[in-house]
Amino acid sequence: MKNKNKKGLYLPVDAKINDVIDLTPDVKLYKLRKPQSFFYSPGQFVMASIWGAGEVPISITSTSEIHQDIELCIRKAGFVTSALHRLNPGDSIGIRGPLGNRFPFEDAYGKDVLFIAGGIGIAPLRSLINLVIEKRKNFGKIALIYGSKTPTEVLFMPETQNWKENGIDLTLTIDVECKEWECSFGLVTEHINRQSISFESGYAFICGPHVMINAAMHDLSLLGMPAENIITTIEAHMKCGVGKCGHCYSDGRYVCTDGPVFSYAEIREFGMASP
Amino acid sequence: MKKISTVCPYCGCGCGLYVHVEKDIITGVSPVRNHPVNKGSLCVKGWNCFEFVQHPGRLKYPLIKKDGVFKKSSWDEALDWTAENLLKVKEKFGPDSIGMLSSAKCTNEENFLMMKFSRAVVGTNNIDHCARLCHSSTVGGLAKAFGSGAMTNSIDEIDSSRVLFVIGSNTTEQHPMIGMHMLDAVDRGATLIVADPRKTQIAEFAKIHLRHRCGTDVALLNGMMNVIINEGLVDLDFVRRRTENFDDFEKIVMRYPLDIAEKITGVPAVDIRRVARIYATEKRSMLFYSMGITQHITGVDNVRSCANLVMLTAHIGLPMTGLNPLRGQNNVQGACDMGALPDVYSGYQKVTDKKARKKFESAWGAKLPSVPGRTLTEMFDAAGGEIRAMYIMGENPVISDPDASHVTEAIKKLDFLVVQDIFMSDTAELASVVLPAVTFAEKDGTFTNTERRVQKLKKAIRPVCGAMPDWRIISELSKRMGYEMEYGATHEIMEEAALLTPSYGGILHHRLNNFGLQWPCPGIDHSGTTFMHRKAFTKGMGSFIPIDFVPPAEPVDGDYPFILTTGRISFHYHTGTMCRRTSTLEREEPDCFVEINPADAESLGIKTHDRLSVSSRRGEIVVNASVTDRTPEGIVFIPFHFREAAVNLITNPALDPTAKIPEYKVCAVNIAPVVPKPDEEGKFFSRRENR
Amino acid sequence: MKDEFVLSKTNLPYWLRQLRKKADLIGPLRSLNGDIIFSSIVNIHEMILDCPASIPSPKEFLFPQKEEMYKFSQKGVNTLNDNGKRIIFGVRSCDISAIALLDRFYGGLLEDDFYMSRRRNTCFISIACNNPDPTCFCSGLGTGPALKTGFDLQFTDLGDRYLVQAGSREGLRMINGFMHLFLLPEKADRDDQYEVLLSSQSIFEKRITLENVRQKILAGKVPDSFWESVASRCFECGGCVYECPLCTCFNVIDWKEKDNKGTRMRLWDTCMFKGFTKMAGNVLPAGKKIMRTKRWYFHKLLYYPEQFGRFGCVGCGRCTITCPGRIDIATIANKLD
Repeated sequence: MKNKNKKGLYLPVDAKINDVIDLTPDVKLYKLRKPQSFFYSPGQFVMASIWGAGEVPISITSTSEIHQDIELCIRKAGFVTSALHRLNPGDSIGIRGPLGNRFPFEDAYGKDVLFIAGGIGIAPLRSLINLVIEKRKNFGKIALIYGSKTPTEVLFMPETQNWKENGIDLTLTIDVECKEWECSFGLVTEHINRQSISFESGYAFICGPHVMINAAMHDLSLLGMPAENIITTIEAHMKCGVGKCGHCYSDGRYVCTDGPVFSYAEIREFGMASP
Repeated sequence: MKKISTVCPYCGCGCGLYVHVEKDIITGVSPVRNHPVNKGSLCVKGWNCFEFVQHPGRLKYPLIKKDGVFKKSSWDEALDWTAENLLKVKEKFGPDSIGMLSSAKCTNEENFLMMKFSRAVVGTNNIDHCARLCHSSTVGGLAKAFGSGAMTNSIDEIDSSRVLFVIGSNTTEQHPMIGMHMLDAVDRGATLIVADPRKTQIAEFAKIHLRHRCGTDVALLNGMMNVIINEGLVDLDFVRRRTENFDDFEKIVMRYPLDIAEKITGVPAVDIRRVARIYATEKRSMLFYSMGITQHITGVDNVRSCANLVMLTAHIGLPMTGLNPLRGQNNVQGACDMGALPDVYSGYQKVTDKKARKKFESAWGAKLPSVPGRTLTEMFDAAGGEIRAMYIMGENPVISDPDASHVTEAIKKLDFLVVQDIFMSDTAELASVVLPAVTFAEKDGTFTNTERRVQKLKKAIRPVCGAMPDWRIISELSKRMGYEMEYGATHEIMEEAALLTPSYGGILHHRLNNFGLQWPCPGIDHSGTTFMHRKAFTKGMGSFIPIDFVPPAEPVDGDYPFILTTGRISFHYHTGTMCRRTSTLEREEPDCFVEINPADAESLGIKTHDRLSVSSRRGEIVVNASVTDRTPEGIVFIPFHFREAAVNLITNPALDPTAKIPEYKVCAVNIAPVVPKPDEEGKFFSRRENR
Repeated sequence: MKDEFVLSKTNLPYWLRQLRKKADLIGPLRSLNGDIIFSSIVNIHEMILDCPASIPSPKEFLFPQKEEMYKFSQKGVNTLNDNGKRIIFGVRSCDISAIALLDRFYGGLLEDDFYMSRRRNTCFISIACNNPDPTCFCSGLGTGPALKTGFDLQFTDLGDRYLVQAGSREGLRMINGFMHLFLLPEKADRDDQYEVLLSSQSIFEKRITLENVRQKILAGKVPDSFWESVASRCFECGGCVYECPLCTCFNVIDWKEKDNKGTRMRLWDTCMFKGFTKMAGNVLPAGKKIMRTKRWYFHKLLYYPEQFGRFGCVGCGRCTITCPGRIDIATIANKLD
C-alpha cells in the first residue's frame, strides 16, 4: 500500500455520487464514480470525508471485478454519517483509499466457505461474496448466515436471493420471532452448527457487532475450525486511516494498516479484545 | 513562535501557562514549570484552554435585536443604542430599576469598572455576580467569623501539612492542581479525611471517608466539635486570647452528642470520633471546603461551623494550618474583592459605611447610593417589576441559576437586556443587544485565584476581528452615558483600584511579574501575605457563632424519593460556553448523565446508558443513566454543564436567608425510565446489538 | 575525524546571527518567572546556553498541538503545509533521539506530509548535557547525555568553547561558509570533552533499566492490581502524552464557518481519555481507566521495542514533572524494577 497520492496523505479526492439507494430507514447505499487508479479488493475501506463535518472509515461493499462504481453502505450513527445522509446524487464525497488489508480469499481456494454477517456487517462481506460467486468454481460449498434485528433492517434483500440462485446456502435470520418473516429466527450463532460445510478445513468470514463476532469466532473454533481460518474484520474509531493518528491502535497493531481484516489466531495472539 | 506567560481561564487554581503563538494563531499551551500552584502540570481543561479562543463561533460584531431578530451593527450604533436605552430606563424608573451582573470570568480591572459603572454612572448598588451562587455564604459567613472570606493559606503549603480535612469538595476533579498537592501531602504521610456523600477520586485516598447525608454538614461538624470539647482537645489558650462568644457556642454544640450526630448524618459515631481526634490533635491541619458546604439553604451556617471548628482547635493563623474555601471561577475571588457585590465596594468596604462611601464619591466625583442593592437571585425575582433592564457581562444565568425556566421567564419580562459575551450563550439569545467581548488570551489584566494570588494576564494575540475587551466596552458605554472614563490601559484601572482598596494597596501591574502577589498587600513595599490571620483576625477577635442544624429545604417523599445533588465533572466547566466548544473535552462527555447507585438502579430496573426522566416539583429533564457506586443509595448526581439537559430546570431555588445562595446540592426528585422515541432508535442501535 | 570542530564562545553569536538571516532561530530563553522556554530569538545574547530542560518537548515545532491542515471553501481546498525554515538551538540529546524515532514513524511509505514538510525545513543544534536534571534518566537508555549519531550538529560545552560535531549533511551545511570561525580540534579539546561527559554521567540521580520492567511485564509478573493502583491516581489530564516527545496521536476536527468555508486541523490527542477510542453509538472499548493506563505503558515498554527496536521513552523526565498523580514512567519503572 503505497502513498500514491503525491498531494498529501490526508487529502481526500472528490468522488461524485452517481446514485443513492435507501436500503432501510437509516442505511443508505452510495454509488460513487471511481476516481482514476483506484484499485481495491474485498475487505478494504475508504475514509469518507465531508469538508466541515469530518471523516469516517467506511468499508467498500462493491466488488471491483463486477461493479463500475464504488459502493459504500452508510448507517446514520453519528455527526459525519448524518451529514453524509443529507447528500444527493450529483454531490461529491471526499474519499481516501483504498486503505487497509483485504480478505485473504485465495487461501480458501478449494475449500468450503462460511460467511457470517450481522446487521450492517453484511457490507464488507458483500464485496467478497460477490467475488466468490464470480470465481464460484474455485471454492467448495458456500454458506451465508445473515442475521438482522428485524425484517425491515435486512440489507440487500433482492441480492441475497440472487446469491441463493448462485449456489449459496443461505440462512436469513432475525433475532426475535415475528409474523411477516418467512425465514429463520434466532441469533446467527444458533445457526452455525447447522451448516453442512466442513468446519475442520473450511474458512469463515465474519462481520457484525463485536459481541456477535466474538461469539461466532469462539463457536467456530469449538466446532474444529482452525483459528487461522476464522477471519473477521474489525471496526474501530479512526481519524487518519493510515496508521498515524493512533485511535485504532490496540496492543501493538493498528486496525487501519495491519487490518481491518484479522484472523482469530491474530486476535488471540495480540489480545485485540473487543469491547 | 512566541510563548506568552498567562493564567488559565478555567478554575480558581489560577495555574500559570504559556500560550504558544505563531503568526497570530494559537498553536498550543504548556504549563509554567516554576509556578507555585501547578508546578509544571495542568489539568485536561488547562491543556485544552486555547481551542475556543479562535473558534469560528466567536461573536465578531455587535448585534441589535429588532423585531425579534438579531441584526449586525457597528460598535458606535450598538453602544449609542445601549446607552440611550439604559438612560431611558434610568430616567423613567430610577437607577435602581437597572441590574448589573458582573463576571467572575473577567479580570479584576473589568470587575472594578463594572462596579464603578453601576454605582457612579447608573447610580445603583444592584450589582452582583455568580459568586452569589457559589461562595456568597463564604464571603458572608467568614466575614462574621474572621472578618475576611478567603482562603487563609497558600496552595503550596498543602504539601507539608499533616492533616487534610476535605469537606464538600471533589478536589481532584474540580481543582485538579490543588488535588495534586493533596496527593503529594498524602504521599508524604499526611492523613487525608474526606467528608462527601459521593465516593470521589480524592475520597479513594482518604484514611477515613465520611459519607454523610446531603445537607447534614452542620450536624457532622457539631458532632465533631462535641467530641473535641468533651475530650478536652480544645485549645483553650487560643480560645481565650483570640476569640469571643465561646460560651454561647458551647451550649449549642453540647446538644449534638455523637448518637444524635450519627442519627442525623448517617455516619457511624466511631468515625466521627476518630476524625475529630485526628483533626484536633495534629497541629498542621488544613480544612478545605467547597460547594458541598456553601450551596445549601444553610450555606452560611455550614461555613460558620467550619470556622468554629478551626478556632476551637487553633488551626488558623499559621502556615499549613487554616480554613480554605476553594473558589470555583478563575477570578471569583477577584470579582468579590473588586466589589462586584450589592453591599460592598472593593475590599469589602460597606456601602452603608459613610466614610467609605465618601472616599469613593470624592474619587469618582459622583453621588453614590447608600442602600445595599439586590442580589443576583433577587434581581431575577424582581424582573419586569422593579427591575426593568439588566446588563449581564460574561455570565449565563439561564443555565447556571436554579429553576432555570423561572430565570428565562424573568429575563423575557425585562424592557432591555444587554449581554456582553464571547459566544452566543443561551442568555445572549434573549438579549436586546449583544456586545462581543474577548477571551483571556486577547487582553491584559489580572486574575485573583483562590489563594488570593493576584496574577497578571497577558495579551497573546490580537482580538478576533470586531471584538473588544470588556473594560473598553464599559468605558465607551460610560462615556456615552455622560461619565468620562479615560483609561489608556488596564494598569491604570488597577492603580485606581489599589488607591481605593486597602487590601490591594500595593498590587500594581509592574509588581506582579513573578507569579503575582497575595493580598492583603497594603502598600508598595509589602510583599504580600501567604497565610492570613496571623496574631489577630482581620476583625480583631474571632467570633464563635452558635449554629443549630436545619434540615434541607426539600425533604424526599413518596412522589420524589431521591435526593438530587449537582456538581461538575473534570472535563467540563460550568455552563459549557468555552469547554463545550473544545473538541477534546466535548468528546469525552458529550451527554448529560445521572449517576445512580447500583442498588437503586436494580430496584428500578435501570442499566447504564438507559434514558431516564429525572423530575422535581419544578420540571423534568431526560438524561442517560450511569450506574455507579460513587453515588450512595438514595442519592443521584447530575452535572450541570449541559444546556440540552439543564439540571437547573429542576433544582430548588430555596435560598440561604442571609447569603441568598440557592440550595443546588439538595432537592427531591423522582426517576423513571423513558422509552426511546422511534427516531432515537438508530442512535442506540449498535449498543443494543451488543448483548 | 573531519567533521569535528571547535567554536569559541565569543564567535557563537556572530555565527547564529548569520544563520538567522535564512531561518527562524529558535532557542532557550529564561522567561520572567524563571522557566526555560523555547521561542523565537530576538536578542541572541539572551539565550541560555547551558542546555537547560524545557517543557514542552521540541516536537511542538514539527507536530504542533494545533496544526491547521486544510482550508476549504466553495472554490476548493488549500493544503497548508508549513515550509518555514527553522533552526532550533540548544536541544537536548534525549529530544534529538526522540525526533529520530518520530522521523521513522511519520516518514516511511506512508509519509505524513505535514510533519515532513516541517521536518525538512528544520535543523537541530543539540547540546550534550552537562547538567542533567534530577528527573532525567537518558543515560540508561542510550539516548543521552551525548549522542554518537543521529544529530545535525552536536555541541559540547568546554567552558570557553564548544566542541562541535556534525552528524549530517544539513549540519555541515550550517558550518560551511563559516570555516573561519571553526577550528580543528586538538587533543586537549577531546580530553576536555571526555571529562565533561564523564562528569555529566555522574550527576544522574535516576538509574532506570526499562528492559527489566519489560521482562517483568512479559513474564506476567505485574498483576492487574498494580495497574489498578496506578490508574486510580490518574487525573486524566493527558499531560504525559502532551509532554512526551514520542507521543504522536492526534485528532482531526473541522471548523466550519459561514458559506461552507472552514478549516480542517489536527490537535494532539491522548489515549488516556475514554473518548479516544469511542465508536459510533457510544461504545467505549477502553471505558476503564486501567485499560488506558496499561495501553500507554505497554505501548511504550512492549510494542515500541517490537516495532522500532527501541523503547518508546527517551528518559527526558517530562512526565515526571508534569504528572499530577505521580504515576510517570520513571516512578512506575522504579516501583517495578
